[in-house]
Amino acid sequence: MRFFDCNAFFGLPAKRPLAPVADVAALLAEMDRAGLERALVWHIAQHDVAPQTGNAMLAEAIAPYSRLYGCWTVLPNQAHEFPPPSLLFKQMREARVVGLRIFPSSHRYLANAVSMGELFEAMVAARVPLFVSVHRGMAWRDVYDLLAEFPELTCVICDHGVWGEDRMFRPLLERYPNVHVDTAQYLLDGGIEALVSDYGASRVLFGSGFPESYFGGMMMAIKHARIPQEAKEMIAFRNLERIIEEARL
Amino acid sequence: MIGNSDLARTFWEHGKAADCPIYDMHGHMGPYHSIYFPRAEPADMVRTMDEAGVRLLIFSHHSALNSPNLANQPSIAAVRAFPDRLRAYCMVNPNYPEQMARDLDAFDSLFPDVYVGFKFLSDYHQIPLTDEAYRPAWEVADRRGLLVLAHTWGGSQYDGEAVVRKVAERYPNVKFLLGHSCHGAWDAAIALANDFPNIYLELTAIFDDRGGIETFVRGAGSDRMLFGTDLPWFDPHQAIGVLLNAGITDEDRHNICHRNAERLLRPIVPGVVGD
Repeated sequence: MRFFDCNAFFGLPAKRPLAPVADVAALLAEMDRAGLERALVWHIAQHDVAPQTGNAMLAEAIAPYSRLYGCWTVLPNQAHEFPPPSLLFKQMREARVVGLRIFPSSHRYLANAVSMGELFEAMVAARVPLFVSVHRGMAWRDVYDLLAEFPELTCVICDHGVWGEDRMFRPLLERYPNVHVDTAQYLLDGGIEALVSDYGASRVLFGSGFPESYFGGMMMAIKHARIPQEAKEMIAFRNLERIIEEARL
Repeated sequence: MIGNSDLARTFWEHGKAADCPIYDMHGHMGPYHSIYFPRAEPADMVRTMDEAGVRLLIFSHHSALNSPNLANQPSIAAVRAFPDRLRAYCMVNPNYPEQMARDLDAFDSLFPDVYVGFKFLSDYHQIPLTDEAYRPAWEVADRRGLLVLAHTWGGSQYDGEAVVRKVAERYPNVKFLLGHSCHGAWDAAIALANDFPNIYLELTAIFDDRGGIETFVRGAGSDRMLFGTDLPWFDPHQAIGVLLNAGITDEDRHNICHRNAERLLRPIVPGVVGD
């Protein structure tokens, strides 16, 4: 069974974790050990240092490896720290970067139309996916506010927590057709099956949360979920493939 | 495939392994206010156990944790419905000493057919494990060498590593299962396991902290670690996947999944625990 992880990072965090993964070589070794085919990855420096610094480190690190896709981090652009959306998208395409991440609470801004309307409108038009983590850098209320303003945004909500945050993300799945959730930290027994039953397999993406979580945990959970094989494959890799293919960078 | 061992191949293909049954030493049951559970009733949980090769689950019902009105009755009813698959911890809440006295009085009549020991939830009940109010239950457990599963969390004033150390010194005969292994205080948990031969590191919520399994195996040894999932909270297949993916041996996996639990439980429930 093939797996394409939508939620993994590498690089050394400022605060040392239990099992750091320093570089792309270590990441690839762990992917091989777990039998993981491809991954959409980001560099922790995008969060801990600065998006510009981390984005450059990510692009350089993944360039030689076609099984790795990148996810850059952006900021409000009133101070012209980034190129305009059209040029940003061109740079993303050239670097095999297929999505964007934001960490508004960590990076001290509000992710809304006033701050980032031009970029989010361009992302909606080009179907460029936004990945947000409710574990790192964005609160549920901010996710709700963002989607209320950009209801067509392709958004993957990651790391939604071991306390089974269904009451937080299910309203968003019901209201916004382009919202998805990943599986990192979604350890709930029967949770994947319930989501597939209620919303279809197209709304759930395999995400490991590596290196803070093991690749193998959710791979095993998906492999043995009580859902059809076709649904397993959608979650394991096809949904992320589709989202990437739909983006017009 | 998520690992490169015989056990990994078997579990990956079949979801379970006949030669590696699992004893889940930390479960719950029933609805809980702040989370949606798709499978929290006993029959649903037993089906999950079947699919993952979990031979026995030892649990405390959510109502037993948080409703002194219901106390242990839902746990008792569930064990009687599935006597070959379930055992319960007798939950005691020292905020209600009169109910606690009733629970202790009833213990003998329910041991070992229903109970295997006690469950303490100090962080939630906000009474330290060392408090005098817990003493009657600790003394029963210590006198009889029973299992005690205590929720433990790093740094907690109620059940953190310093508190655990004090009660471990006081009650050396208890088989003391550190629920969540003083979560986050990994080195302190290892030190406790090394200093007290009757302490075991229970792994619920450790399976989502990459590196935790290997850290414990290196520091305390796999013969001191116990499988646990908080079922119906966490999918046992996720925990199994982590064990298979972690950098440990199949011997370690056998210890964690069943050998250590069998050693603890065989004197209590021989008909349920396989040789």
